[in-house]
Parts: sequence; structure tokens; C-alpha cells
Amino acid sequence: MRARKARTPVFLVASVLALVLVAAGCGGGDDDASGDGDAAGLDAIRVPQDHDTIQAAVDAAEEGDLILVDAGVYEEAVDVTTPYVTIRGVDRNEVILDGGFELENGIRVLETEGVVVENMTARNYLRNGFFWTGSDYYRGSYLTAYRNGDYGIYAFDSYHGQFDHSYGGGSPDAGFYIGECYPCDAVIDQVVSENNGLGYSGTNSGGDLYIVNSVFRNNRAGIVPNSGSYELCYPERESTIVGNVVHSNNNTDAPSIDVALLAHGNGILVAGGVRNTIERNLVYDHDRTGIGLVPFPEEDANDLAPPRSEWEVPCAQTHDEPVPEIPEAECRSIEGLLAGCAVMWHPFENRVVGNVVEGSRIADLAVATADLFGTGETTDTLGNCFSGNTFATTAPADLEALAPCDGEGSGGSWDAGALDLLGLFTQPAEAPPKDRWRTTPEPGPQENMPDARTKPAERFEGPVPPDLDAIEVPERPAGS
Amino acid sequence: MSRRAAAVALVAACAAVAFATGWARATAPDDGPARAAPGAAGPERHTGPQGRVGQFVVRCGYDHSAPDDPIVHFGHAGRSHRHDFYGAVGVGADSTAGDLARAGTTCDLRADTAAYWHPTVYDGDAPLEPRGLVAYYRAAPGVAPGAVEPFPFGLAMVAGDATATAPQAGEAVGWTCGTSTRLADAPPACPARAPLHLVVTFPDCWDGRRLDSPDHRSHVAYSAGGRCPAGHPVHVPQLTVAVELPVWGHGRALRLASGNVYSLHGDFLNAWDPDGLEREVEACIRRDVVCGLASNRAEEAPFFHG
Repeated sequence: MRARKARTPVFLVASVLALVLVAAGCGGGDDDASGDGDAAGLDAIRVPQDHDTIQAAVDAAEEGDLILVDAGVYEEAVDVTTPYVTIRGVDRNEVILDGGFELENGIRVLETEGVVVENMTARNYLRNGFFWTGSDYYRGSYLTAYRNGDYGIYAFDSYHGQFDHSYGGGSPDAGFYIGECYPCDAVIDQVVSENNGLGYSGTNSGGDLYIVNSVFRNNRAGIVPNSGSYELCYPERESTIVGNVVHSNNNTDAPSIDVALLAHGNGILVAGGVRNTIERNLVYDHDRTGIGLVPFPEEDANDLAPPRSEWEVPCAQTHDEPVPEIPEAECRSIEGLLAGCAVMWHPFENRVVGNVVEGSRIADLAVATADLFGTGETTDTLGNCFSGNTFATTAPADLEALAPCDGEGSGGSWDAGALDLLGLFTQPAEAPPKDRWRTTPEPGPQENMPDARTKPAERFEGPVPPDLDAIEVPERPAGS
Repeated sequence: MSRRAAAVALVAACAAVAFATGWARATAPDDGPARAAPGAAGPERHTGPQGRVGQFVVRCGYDHSAPDDPIVHFGHAGRSHRHDFYGAVGVGADSTAGDLARAGTTCDLRADTAAYWHPTVYDGDAPLEPRGLVAYYRAAPGVAPGAVEPFPFGLAMVAGDATATAPQAGEAVGWTCGTSTRLADAPPACPARAPLHLVVTFPDCWDGRRLDSPDHRSHVAYSAGGRCPAGHPVHVPQLTVAVELPVWGHGRALRLASGNVYSLHGDFLNAWDPDGLEREVEACIRRDVVCGLASNRAEEAPFFHG
């Protein structure tokens, strides 16, 4: 443990003097971005008063410390390896980490528990705005991330986490991403994600993973969980997506990686994920599907898709096991189509219930796969179900009768009005310039955390699962 | 139409698209002769999905090509076969590590002002302009992450045998598709979404004294079973460089500026900002944390398409 920085009586006196002077000068108040306000009574390490940089303050911090950052533009890439510290800005819109298109990550938390970041902005980083990796008990609240080159707000191989009241915009990959965890025990609640390649992306994540009460709009695609053996913990499974407003994810001006071009024009698109719950979302205005369940074809895969019997195995049990090469006899490819050892990640056993889906140019609700390898997994055998949704069009036709969540299906045709997967996969949107993310729109002022200057840091013990029963289908925003 | 018939029709339709776009026949990799087992001649490599072991990755754009080699033919411009350069900008035959550190960089980690180069890949007589490279920095398999030290400033390394005319022993070099870790001796036929890459893995043990050696190799060595040989006791990161080429499908007449495709090799001259390299080694390798990943997510090509 590093030695705690001594905070001397001289400093306390200076703080009190500063408080008096600033309070006299501008009157304080919650919208005051001048810094000291009434924070002098708070037990905190102050930036820049105690340390010129956030990194220096983090390096000086001990477990349990609060680092309170004053208004200003901080051209830093901060690494955090001290557990249970809270890094908080006094004003979300005025405490700005700026990568200047030179630095890698705004704040990067490295295999460290309990790090909370709140009430600040990170912009113009080459990779990510806020990034937790291998770090459990993480929380990001009242954060704004925009114009970052990979992800806005990002957790990888991390458990027991929460992102809330936050904004992710203008990234070519995802505004919000939680990947490589099962069961994740994580909540995304009351966030806004816009102008990204993907509003939400989660590869090989799930299990007590909730995405609720949030807005995903004007991205290339809205909420896009997917499976793939290019990272560990496959398949993506058991994500719970409830009570979100997902609209107008057809934004041709948004930056984009290639998978976002493929997903372009879809609201909620499960790409080879299993056992997800998609309930009571409001989804409208999409060029392709409102809610779509599709396969994810992976070429040159590292591993075969695990059988159902392994879907409930925690990632911790498989994470460190070597993955043997796919035996030659099981290495499948299709002449001219899928090369190397290709794997079709099918969407299995997803539940789509009680959503309101409108204005989808191909279908409001859709499910499809292709049995390219003759394994018998066709669209009707995957066990996905649809009930109680409000919609106008489905693919295949009459989907709620074909695949209800309770009771037997109608036995009708799955071929009538089937989704044109070939069209979906062979006609991606046109790619924007690679550096499009650098010029995406700046968000307006975002809601501040209450009592940022006075609230003591609280140890984060993990997210509280949302009360799903209390969530209703959101109202359509005014003017849309 | 039955479901089976629908599936067959989809495959047929896909095939029609593939042929219409000129994709060729088989997709099995053209592996060539069997590869030798890894050993002293080459590295033990990390294989399979990323996300298990600590690593940091650097993406570097292609800078330029020139018949220069500031390690093997230092000071002799034009003496080498043609190389493609990445990392520090404007590297020439007389570039030193100090020169590189003062130059700009094509890498997304600005602290990485090292130089990476390999022989130019030709399709027939036409040089191919690479799309860029990903450099993976990790502890080699079995090596205790906490034992890894940063490369010393100015360290020069060469991996692979530029004079080889047959498959090289070990897996210091190889060819693959996308981010797959399966290596082949000769370029396989790759899909557009996972195009051809050449892969070079450098030694991860250093003698602790010399930045270079007369043969440019004997000051470094590969670890085996997580241990460095006695004469090269210092663990440094295992650097694997994967260069993406604008190549997929069949029908290419690929060769290297150094000879046939078996003569693959690569060079690395460390000129990282020392503080930046120390920071990444400490944060990602010694702590055994995944600081970054590379995948085919960003490839510009549709599925089911040549």
C-alpha cells in the first residue's frame, strides 16, 4: 500500500480561505462549476489543489479515498490501480478529460476492485473514454464520453458493475460495451447512447446483465449483443433488455466499424446470442428490423459453438483453459462463402415479449438463421419466442402465432415472408471515412450528479438488480 | 418450399453471389508441408481466443517502403531487399533509435516510436501496400508476468530466416487469416472478412548486455517452458507482429522481396518512449490485464461475399 499523502493543517486553512473567497465571489450552488463551493468540508483529495493532475492524485490515494476534481480541461490518460477509490468531478460538463486525439484512454482501471468514476466527461481519446478491465465492483455514473476512437464507456472481463445516468456518443464501435463475462452481474440503467456505430455492444457477456430504462437513438444500430470465439466466454447469453427507447438507428453520418455497417438499420439485433430477454421496449423507425434475431457467421473461428449443456458454465471455469484447435474433421467451410473453420452462431431461445415496435422498413419483429452446415438448426428449431408485442410486420409472417412464448405454435409455414438474410449480410451500409468519429456532434449539457461537492464516497458493493416488474413500456418522446 | 429446400436455396444464392464476384474454388488453407514443432528455433505462442492473458496492443499504419535495413545493413542505403516500414516515420538505412524517438509515429500509441519492418509482399511483379499492423506485447506462455522487463532502448531484433527457401522450423513466422492464431507456412486462401496476415514473433529473452550482436540474433533467444536460457536471463515481452495485407481468395502469385513466401522475416528496433513502454508493461503485462484486443470486427467486407 502506498503511503497516504499528508494533508496538512496549512492546506486546510488554505481550503477554508478559498471557500470563503469563492463563495463570496460567485455564490456557490449546484450549477457553479468554479470548484470549491461547499466541498471544503468533504474529506477528499483535491485536484488541482492537492495535486496538479488526476493521475498524481490517484497515485497518492489509498483505499476508500475520494478524489474530487475541479472544473478544467485535463489532458491526461489516467491509470487506476488503487482499489475502492472514487474519482468524481465537481461538474460533469466542466470537468473534462481531453485526449487531444493523441492519448489512449481517459480513465483506465486495471485489475482493481471497487473503482467508481462519476460526474465528468472524457472526449477525443484514440481508444476509450472510460475503461474498466479485469476490474470487479466497478461503477460509472453521470459520465459523458464522446468522440472516442473505440468505445465510450467500456467494461471487459469485469464483474459486479454498474453504468448509470451516463452518455456515450460518437464512437465507431459502441457507446456502451460490457464484454467477456458470465455471469456478469451488471446493470446499465438510465443512459443515453447516440451517434455511435453501435449503441450497445456486448460480445460473450450476460448472466444477470440488465440493460434498462435507457435510450439508444441515432446510432448505426441500437442494442447489439453478439457471440464469437475471437474472445472468451462464448456464447453471449442471458442479457435482459427491458424498458428502453430504441429509435432511428439508421444514422449514416455515424462513425462505424464494419460489424456496425452490417447491423446498420436495426433497433435491437441479437447476433448469435442465446436466452436473452427483450421485454417492454419501445422500438421505432428502423430501416431494417425493429427487433431481430439473426446468426453471426464467424470465419476462421478459434472454437466451435458450445452445446446447450455448457451454456450455464460460469466463465471463471473456462477462462483459463486452453482452447485446442478445431479438429480438421470438424473444420467446416463452404466453397466461396465461409472460409477457414467457420462457425454459425445461431440465436437460440430468446424471449421477445410485450415490446411496442413500429415503423420498421423490413419487419418489426424478425428471426432467421441458415443451416449452412447441415446441422439441422433451422429457424424453426431454435426455440425463440414472441408474445404480447405490438407490431405491424414480422418475418416470417405471423411470427407470434408460429412461436408463442406460452403454448404450442400454430404449425404454419416458417418460409412465408422469411427474412432475407442474404440481403442483410451482403448489403452492408457504405463505410464512412475512418476518422469520422473525430467530428461527431458534441452533446449538450448533461445532468449533474446530485450533491457532487458534498457527498462522501460510498464503497460500491455491486449493483442492485432493477425491479423489472415495475418497468412499463416507455412513452414515445415528445416531438418524435 | 420446405425448410431444407430454403436452406439449400440460400446456399445456392450465396454461391451465385460468390461466383459473380469472382471468388475462387476451395477455401481450405494451402498449408504446404507440415510444420516443425516449436522449440529453440522459434517461440511458444499464445493461441486461441484473446482475452486470457495480459496484453497490450498497438496498431500502426504503413509508413513507406525502401530497400533499407537499419539493423542488417546500417548506413548502407539501398543495399537491402525492399522492406515495408511501420511505427517511427521516415526510417532509413542510417536511422538510430535516437532518431526514431525524435520522429513522429504511425502508431495509435504515440509513445510507440519503435520501428517495425518486413520484406515487401508482391503479387507477381506488383508490390502490395499493407493495411497496417497490430503489435501484441505479452508475457510468453508460461512466463511469470511479473518477471517481464521492458525492452531496453535501442534493442534490435530479427525473427525468421530471410534466406529460407523451404518452410522454416518453429513458428517464429507464418501466414494466417485475420486474427486467427493458426499459422501456415504459405499464404492460405482467406475470406475478405479475415484477410491475409503475415505474423512474426520475436525472441523474448535478452542477454542483459548487448543491444545488437554481429549476427543480429545471438543477443536474444526464445524462452521454452516459461524459462529463458542461461545466457539470456532477462525476460522481455513476447512481441508478435501481425501485418494485414489486402489479399483474400485464391489465384495470387505471392512472393516476398527476400525470395519465396518461406523467406518471411521481420525486424524490430526499439525506440519506444521509455516511460511509455514501462507504463504499458507494468499496467498490462506485469498485472496480467487485457489492456486491448484486436479482432476482425473492423474488417471492411460483408459476410457471404468474396
